[in-house]
Amino acid sequence: MIALTVALPLLAAFLLPLLPALARQFLGPLVLLAVAAFGLCLAGNALDAPSVVAIGDFRPPLGIVFYADGVAGLFVFAIAVVTLLLWPCATPNGQPDPQITRKHSLTLLMAAASCALALSGDLFNIYVFYELAAVAGYGLAAGSRTPAAQVATFRFTLLGSLGSLLALIGITLIYFRAGSLNLAHLAELAPSTLHDPLGLAGFLLILLGFGVKSELFLVNSWAPEVYATAESRVSALLAGLISKLALLAVVRLLVLVFPVPEASQLLLVLGMLGILTGELAAYRARDFRRLLAWSSIGQLGAAFVAFAIPGPAGLMAGIAVALHHLMVKPALFLLAERWGGNLAQLAGAARNSPIAAALFVLFALSLIGVPPLPGFWAKYLLLSGLAGEPAGLWWLAGLVVLTTTVVEAVYLFRIIGTLYGHQQGSVMQSRTATTGSGIFALLLVGTALSAPLLAAPLQKMATQLADTDGYVAQVISATITAPQRSGTAP
Amino acid sequence: MTTPLDLLLFTAAATVAGAFALGRWRDIAWLTGAFYIAQLIQLTGLDLPSASHAGFTLFGQLVGWQMDGFGRFFAIITVGAAAAATAYMGGEWGERYRQAGHSLVWLHGALAINVLAMLLLLAGNDLIALFIGWELTSWASFLLMAQGGERALRAALRYVPYAMGAAMAVLGGIVLTHAFTGTLQFTELAQRVPQLENWQLALMVTLFGVGFSIKMGLLPFHLWQAPAYAEAAGAGTSFLGAISARMGLFALALLLVKFVSLTRLADLEFVSGLFDARDLIAWVAAFTIVLPTFTALKQNDARYLLAWHGIGQGGYMLLGIVIGDATGSAGGLLHVFNYATYQAALVLSVFAVLHRTGTADLNSLGGLVTRMPLTFLVMLMGIIGLAGLPPMNGFVSKWLVYRSLMIEGRPLLFLMTVIGTLGTILSVYKLIHNTFLGQLRLEHEGIREAPWSMTIPMLVLVGIGFVTGVAPGLPLQWVNDAQAALGLPVLPHTLGGVESSQGGLDMLWVVGVLFAGFGIGALLFYGVGNRSKRIHQLDNYAGGHFLSADVRYHYSDHFYAGLMHRIGPLYRGSFTRLEEAVASANDTLAALMQAWYRQRVPMLTLLVAATAGLGWMVLQ
Repeated sequence: MIALTVALPLLAAFLLPLLPALARQFLGPLVLLAVAAFGLCLAGNALDAPSVVAIGDFRPPLGIVFYADGVAGLFVFAIAVVTLLLWPCATPNGQPDPQITRKHSLTLLMAAASCALALSGDLFNIYVFYELAAVAGYGLAAGSRTPAAQVATFRFTLLGSLGSLLALIGITLIYFRAGSLNLAHLAELAPSTLHDPLGLAGFLLILLGFGVKSELFLVNSWAPEVYATAESRVSALLAGLISKLALLAVVRLLVLVFPVPEASQLLLVLGMLGILTGELAAYRARDFRRLLAWSSIGQLGAAFVAFAIPGPAGLMAGIAVALHHLMVKPALFLLAERWGGNLAQLAGAARNSPIAAALFVLFALSLIGVPPLPGFWAKYLLLSGLAGEPAGLWWLAGLVVLTTTVVEAVYLFRIIGTLYGHQQGSVMQSRTATTGSGIFALLLVGTALSAPLLAAPLQKMATQLADTDGYVAQVISATITAPQRSGTAP
Repeated sequence: MTTPLDLLLFTAAATVAGAFALGRWRDIAWLTGAFYIAQLIQLTGLDLPSASHAGFTLFGQLVGWQMDGFGRFFAIITVGAAAAATAYMGGEWGERYRQAGHSLVWLHGALAINVLAMLLLLAGNDLIALFIGWELTSWASFLLMAQGGERALRAALRYVPYAMGAAMAVLGGIVLTHAFTGTLQFTELAQRVPQLENWQLALMVTLFGVGFSIKMGLLPFHLWQAPAYAEAAGAGTSFLGAISARMGLFALALLLVKFVSLTRLADLEFVSGLFDARDLIAWVAAFTIVLPTFTALKQNDARYLLAWHGIGQGGYMLLGIVIGDATGSAGGLLHVFNYATYQAALVLSVFAVLHRTGTADLNSLGGLVTRMPLTFLVMLMGIIGLAGLPPMNGFVSKWLVYRSLMIEGRPLLFLMTVIGTLGTILSVYKLIHNTFLGQLRLEHEGIREAPWSMTIPMLVLVGIGFVTGVAPGLPLQWVNDAQAALGLPVLPHTLGGVESSQGGLDMLWVVGVLFAGFGIGALLFYGVGNRSKRIHQLDNYAGGHFLSADVRYHYSDHFYAGLMHRIGPLYRGSFTRLEEAVASANDTLAALMQAWYRQRVPMLTLLVAATAGLGWMVLQ
């Protein structure tokens, strides 16, 4: 079942162009539904005990493993659901899109690669699937066919490729030092081989490389350009989904291989700068999509800060922040399908599209963390995690989160003010976008209402994610064939 | 089993639902009004403390609601103010509001949401519950402020950074409190917070203090309040003015008195033995009395004038509570109630004038006493209360605060309050003079008294102000419950006031003597020497000239020119400039950040970062 979550969409992606037109329409969503169901099962089972699959029965370190713990299962589920909600359909102005099959294929490819990224238990696999997701992402981003989009995508591709290259160098460095790419092995080997400047250099390179996709500060300047020009659904996928998976890969590495203060402080500082630059830049944004892009840079900065906090508390906060962003940002990008462009044109739009405007208000309130919406709990976990650490950088990060939230509230409410202004509006929100973000809103409200029930599984997931010994034991016991293991261990 | 508090919260929630579901119904005000009355009845009969079953546990935190005497005191005022505002909205005023293209549904709804949010805040039994209530209250009051036109919306948007700044300061305080004490429950906090080290306590008090002061409109965080309250829709303004900002006071008192305790607060010394945190707060309160009051004096819009007074009056309340003896704290708390009654009445009377004349500009009115005598009566009684003179209730609470400042040996603070009261008297005289006295404008010749739907709520409010002025023992009972819940000494009282060996106050006597004096004066005037003759104001002359309609002799513009000549240079607008400085610093920073994202060759940044990182690692 674990392998199917990757294999099914991958297969479907390649088969899609060959199928008759009718089957083409339904295959993708059906596959995604199946993956969603698998993901849910995985998450449920994994909360009791994570499961491990050695692909092709090759044992590590030669073979590759999929490791499905609660977080991975949850992400697989989220990937399927979010991709389904953002499934490419007719162009915003309602005409059929001649490129639709290609887009469907690429989207499926991206979903497959994302699932694999969430599940992979070794660096090699992570790299391969990261690249696969990236390539699909470039293809989708270029899909809107305007010159601006193509320039932006070109720059994005260059930056992304350079990032991948750096990540590859980092992985090579790690392999050079430790002689293995399996995360479980690395976790065992790291204290003796990797916790030195060279090993950390490897982590830094991987962080910068994967950071391109996860909108890490320093390497995220592609985001506003690309999101402003690409189709909204693509932006939503990139900002909502792909960024989180790149982040998850970094987090696995951080938790399992580099649980050292240097690494987490690096994440903390970069995350903090991401929040500052993102939120402040959004404050001056005059374009709806750019604003969303910057705000998402800020939110991912918050996720980085959260994951930097050592121990399960930080991981729980990180998961909460990431999941919250995953629910809110795609929905906002969906609204940007019609509302994209200059913010001034939104004046009075609430009169034409009251439901869409109300949805925007809901998402805005959750983003700035108004209780009892989930955004508040995410922020609360993040801040109490930071407050629990010793004073200094950690508290500074807390201060940054608090002050930038004020900035965030100002620019979001400025939009709300514009939407509910007293002019007669000129733009009309599309029904598909309203429905799509409405579903996200239902998810959001559902999460808010069931928060007390969801807290326990979340806590368990974080504990599982933080449990390095458990991870190692699981992977080793699942793939126990002594000769191979003893052959490589130093 | 539902508890009384469950029932109360349920009624409040039902009010919200009713306001939105049936909002288009013409007589919706009767329904919501009845619901508010029901809430009031439930509140006055509440057993203290009353817990609610509502609550949940999340991330190890127990979140629950329980109302004690302190919360109940504020809740009664909240619901009462809402009931008055609803009655006012129910008649002609609401009809006109609707005809002007505004949504009455949203006005009723926003009001009901405000009440529910405030009840949740007031009944919170832990810091998370408090924060939930706090945030809901903030955004609910934003909603209420934004009703009623473009200017209202703009003023409300100015409130956003303040509200959010407050929320974030409070949230920061909450997570630090949890890190320091390991609990967020009120009862446990009251035991553990005083035992914190001084720096921890100082950090906590600063964060919470800033957050709560913003809502309260304490200096220097007060700038948002006057425009946001003044520009809102009339009934909304009266509710906001009467109680909304007091939520900040509620939380501040909870923090300072219940958790930190005033004696522990005095341990945070700035100058050893001379000036501590408690003094600082008292002085901030004193300046909050004086400066906004004198800003009010300069206003030419009646709504703004009252809104600025609202900020100033908050200072009296906080000052009384921080002094912390039985008399002072009773005075501070009682002032919350008293202020709400006359402020709501005053705002409603100003909006009644606005309703009839179309303006609240103090330079475009005058002489309306002959046309709107009941509204005049309301404003007269209201300003007597606001100025703190007998027989209205404002006198009693201010007297208690003065009294405690004297007993506790704080002559300088006392002086500040007196300066504040002087400013109040001057500016409320300007208000009533420019509106009701002097020459009636020709265009107001045909003005009629405001309709009963508006005058009755106003009269009821000033009636309450009068009755509780004559018999302050009635609200003092609730004040005593509040004092006890906070852990303050309780002020023994009688129906007419307080009995004390150091000099009590019996309003029954004071008012009796006052009215006896008036009675004698009236007897003399009407019985012996009354030679006055009633004539029309346009049938009049002065200095040998006929005063026709084109001769303007109503002196309103640049009121108090002589005084302003003296104190005018003291108005420097420093706070406004501070606000602008923060805003422009933020703008500049934001521009810099955007410049970062416009870099031409991001690849270069990536390479430089990677190289720098590698270099650093290698050098290690």
